[in-house]
Amino acid sequence: MTTKLINRRQFIQLIAVASTSWPAINLAKTNSSNQTLGRQADLVYKDLSDPWLSIAEVQEHLFPADDVSPGAKDISALRFLRNMLEAPDSDTEEKEFIIKGVGWLNDLSIKNNKRKFIKLNTDEKEKVLRQIEGSRAGSRWLSLMMTYLLEALLSDPVYGGNKDQKGWQWLEHIPGFPTPTTDQVYFKLGQHANGTTRRRTKS
Amino acid sequence: MSKDYDVCVVGSGAGAGPIISELSKQGKSVLVLEKGPWLTEEDFTKDEMACCRRSTYTPKLEDEQHVLEEETMNGGWESEPTSESGWDFWNGNVVGGSSNFMSGYFYRIKPEDFRLLSEFGPIKGANVVDWPISYDDMEPYFTKVETAVGISGKIIPHKHQEPRSTKDFPYPPTSEHPIVERIDKACDELNITSLPTPRAILSRPANGRNSCEYSGYCGSYGCHSGAKGSARAALLDDAVATGNCEIRANSKVYKLKSDNKGQVVEALYYDMDDKPQSVSAKTFVVACHAIETSRLLLSSTGPKHPNGLGNNYSQLGKNLVFSAGGSGTGEFHYSEMDKLAASAMKTRGPFVNRGVQDWYFFDDKDFGGKTKGGVIDFLLRHPNPISKAMSTKWNDEDKLNWGKNLKRDLKTVFTESQDLRFEVFNDWLPTDNCFVNLDNSVKDKWGSAVAKVRLGYHEHDLKVGEFLSAKAENILKQMGAKNIRSSVSGSPPANLVAGGCRFGNDINTSVLDADCKVHDVDNLYVTDGSFMPTGGSVPYTWTIYANSFRVADILKSRV
Repeated sequence: MTTKLINRRQFIQLIAVASTSWPAINLAKTNSSNQTLGRQADLVYKDLSDPWLSIAEVQEHLFPADDVSPGAKDISALRFLRNMLEAPDSDTEEKEFIIKGVGWLNDLSIKNNKRKFIKLNTDEKEKVLRQIEGSRAGSRWLSLMMTYLLEALLSDPVYGGNKDQKGWQWLEHIPGFPTPTTDQVYFKLGQHANGTTRRRTKS
Repeated sequence: MSKDYDVCVVGSGAGAGPIISELSKQGKSVLVLEKGPWLTEEDFTKDEMACCRRSTYTPKLEDEQHVLEEETMNGGWESEPTSESGWDFWNGNVVGGSSNFMSGYFYRIKPEDFRLLSEFGPIKGANVVDWPISYDDMEPYFTKVETAVGISGKIIPHKHQEPRSTKDFPYPPTSEHPIVERIDKACDELNITSLPTPRAILSRPANGRNSCEYSGYCGSYGCHSGAKGSARAALLDDAVATGNCEIRANSKVYKLKSDNKGQVVEALYYDMDDKPQSVSAKTFVVACHAIETSRLLLSSTGPKHPNGLGNNYSQLGKNLVFSAGGSGTGEFHYSEMDKLAASAMKTRGPFVNRGVQDWYFFDDKDFGGKTKGGVIDFLLRHPNPISKAMSTKWNDEDKLNWGKNLKRDLKTVFTESQDLRFEVFNDWLPTDNCFVNLDNSVKDKWGSAVAKVRLGYHEHDLKVGEFLSAKAENILKQMGAKNIRSSVSGSPPANLVAGGCRFGNDINTSVLDADCKVHDVDNLYVTDGSFMPTGGSVPYTWTIYANSFRVADILKSRV
């Protein structure tokens, strides 16, 4: 099995050479919610603007719904991605890279088809994405998209993906118990443990 | 001058737990300095994101990392920081250490493992030595671990059964998965002895701990029920209850300060707010993971120890060992079974608990006669769904898999077969090419040099691993498994590491004496896996626990 890892040094170089001419993205305007992990899947797809509009479209192409299985929107893959990118310990360089990639995607899409990615038909989308995959940075960007998609499909719903356990149900997966509460998500465990309540020392 | 504590212990895992527990019960004042947070059963859920997808129980590699040196094609060595490679070498930095996250496959090492050099002779290029103690010295402590930590199992006589002072385990085996019948049948047909694998998992409630809940998610996960014999659940909670033990979590020791006589006087550490602190004690015990223990001692220079504590003979960090071997898989397709059998095969929860020791020692002309082999263990493919899904991310042409093809592959991997895996454990021979040093060009977030680890291995390790792997593949074949494959390599498992401060009678070739005291320091002991000159052909944890109880008995009369 090929893992196609690139190391961090190369990753940072990739970000550095990426174009800076993409539209400025104001995260604060895009209805971000780093407080709630829960059940806002319906809202996250409402009134979308870029970069999230394009990302949602890419996710649905990479993981399309059909008659018997859920697609990216059904599992709320965008909610999951946004929660992860806004988590307290998230990698800011990775987030920057993902958002920059959207500009790149649309640049290529306009160059090839004179339309942004969301306006392309399925074949055109496939062609653009496979073309992107041919470059190192593009492959890395798509690889990240896929990783977040698979995590969204099969992580505990507390993280915002796997809506109504649709991923688990489709793949007949039996989860373990107990499952995490919103206070037990991975980025809160450390914080909790650092609190004075857990210093059960005699002094 | 009065000291703050009788004993200061650095680390709180399997090598530290018995010392902490025994000495605090004896009435000694014990301070434990643990780098990680203090999580409890309530914090441990079956959350793959927390256990396995993010650095929850281990540091972020940007904050704390290793530098790993691997051999290049032309025989040189190339080093790469793990923050760049992503090769995470941490195991579990929390109170109780990585014993919180082990699978708990517990094996004693055998009498011959204590005298590998005498039994099997030297191997060119390997630094094999006999241990300074014998199996008989350790046996009472192996037995003690069975009750104190809690080991479930059942003794079945076989040709390599090590001597025992008690008849059987104090706890019966945990519940077993239906696939066990198939393993037993195949082994029977091949005239191989299939053995129940002892587990450090309680099969019934004991000592205030619950029995296993059979969630089916054990290895890599913290235990919610308390059944898993982590140092925290089995030993530390009771130690704290004596009132003699204080555990300071989030306390990272960066140096042991020694005086003009060469004795340790203080542990210097950063507290939870990253402020430097110090504490004095009569005796110091270091047990903070084989690599990190060597790193701490190498960093602890002093007037009598200019090259690090206990390094006046250039032995510190040397002869690091991992567990050699490999792993393999075979698939059992539901379409080839009746409905009832398929349903049994899909069972989630009970353990496989089967292993084979027929070739722990073997005689083979390709190996020049009598040879040290190892253990084969069977287990189901880990149920972690994201990890399973990630195996479908790339297609055979090295392109990203998406769309309909991805969904088809996911469905196949998740719903068409049960995969039985095996793991092979054999000796990782100690060599001059596997050791710990400091990398002064890469620092952790507190500014201390990180450990640089050279990861050389001996070709003999692969030869033995491949021999055992072939035997395991035969068993899978006899069981009717499909698509059988295995992999044996010199790539070290970061969770099975020992050595670096090996014990011995000669100060020129070892760091510790037979009591695990640093040879030329009167009040410093090392009790994690660092002491082991050779690892045996099994996971180390039972031996580490047992040795720590042994050293605890020695310390009771010395502190």
